[in-house]
Amino acid sequence: MSEDKKQGDPIMQWVTFCLGDEKYGINVMQVQEVLRITEIAPVPGAPSYVLGIINLRGNVVTVIDTRNRFGLPSKDTDDASRVVIIETDRHIIGILVDSVAEVVEMRASEIETAPNVGNEESSKYIQGVTSRDNKLLILVDLNKFLSDDEKAELDMF
Amino acid sequence: MSQAKSPPTIVRQQLALDAYLQTLLDEVPEADESLPDPIVIEKSIAVVAEAISKPQQKLAVAEISPVVVAKPTLKSRRSTLVAPENPAKLQALSVMPDWAQYEFQALFFKVDQLILATPLIELSRTIKIDRKPSKIPGQPSWFLGLLDEHDCRIGVLDTCQLIFGKARGQQLNAEDHPAKRILITQDKKWGLVCDEILSIGKVKPDGVRWRTARQKKPWLIGTVIDELTAIIDVKQLVPHRKSS
Repeated sequence: MSEDKKQGDPIMQWVTFCLGDEKYGINVMQVQEVLRITEIAPVPGAPSYVLGIINLRGNVVTVIDTRNRFGLPSKDTDDASRVVIIETDRHIIGILVDSVAEVVEMRASEIETAPNVGNEESSKYIQGVTSRDNKLLILVDLNKFLSDDEKAELDMF
Repeated sequence: MSQAKSPPTIVRQQLALDAYLQTLLDEVPEADESLPDPIVIEKSIAVVAEAISKPQQKLAVAEISPVVVAKPTLKSRRSTLVAPENPAKLQALSVMPDWAQYEFQALFFKVDQLILATPLIELSRTIKIDRKPSKIPGQPSWFLGLLDEHDCRIGVLDTCQLIFGKARGQQLNAEDHPAKRILITQDKKWGLVCDEILSIGKVKPDGVRWRTARQKKPWLIGTVIDELTAIIDVKQLVPHRKSS
């Protein structure tokens, strides 16, 4: 690839995690830390996609049930389960995943748009897909993972 | 004498076909706005079989499906069959896909217990399902996921749900009833899962009862008369990608 093309095709780093049989990627710049599973205190009256809250060094952080959000069946946590602390639009939230895999690098040109056959709203947080090690990697746009209303609601927990 | 009996036979066959096609359209309630209506094919075949096995009971067909004989369109359909040179029919056929104008090769395949046919020209190849498609969150249940196959990324579709509707499709595609093969469309963007590929056969246009009015179920383009097998227009069955 020529130098000009490289400049217009930046390399991005993605933290990959697993949920069920699929592997997902999120922008490494939005990941603050990865935690082993800890006690998650349920919040009464919270939406179904909210697992509860954790105390992260004195700060209350809401943990999202990513399986629920992605329409996957629930699963008990195990030793591989992790809470990934992310920052999205000045909100700090945790997302529960089955396991965290690795950090991968890829060029923007490697990302393809996923076909959207449903309504725009339901899959707006899917940024694209790409092939990695003969497997599909689904890239998630964390800024669209929650709507503005949902983020505002999380602030009240 | 035999000549005198011939026209009623044609009319009965016509009624039986009408009953069959009408059953495809009318008998199952709308399950999901985003999906085509379900088909109760077994019932259609039963109605047709009854009509054929009881030649003296021309009225019996009407009793089974009174809506069919009551529809004003039936008369024009019947007259179309009796007078095949009718210009109106030729005009209607002109909106058909190109492949429907001539003899074409069709792939016969099975989805649940239903045998369907589709022109080979609308397919690129078929593959065995040897791995699960990657499920994309937030998509409808009939979109089973993406599958990388050679250089193509195929959107795998639940044919059962697209044809029968959501409720029955999901019931039939439970874990204990996995589909076995995928028919890949000509543009290699979509794959339709099916249980079994049966055969390839030639179909002549005059051996097909074409549906020229396809506001509902545009993918159901006609029926092979001899075998009463529905012909699926794959291009109309698969969704149009909103982005690529």
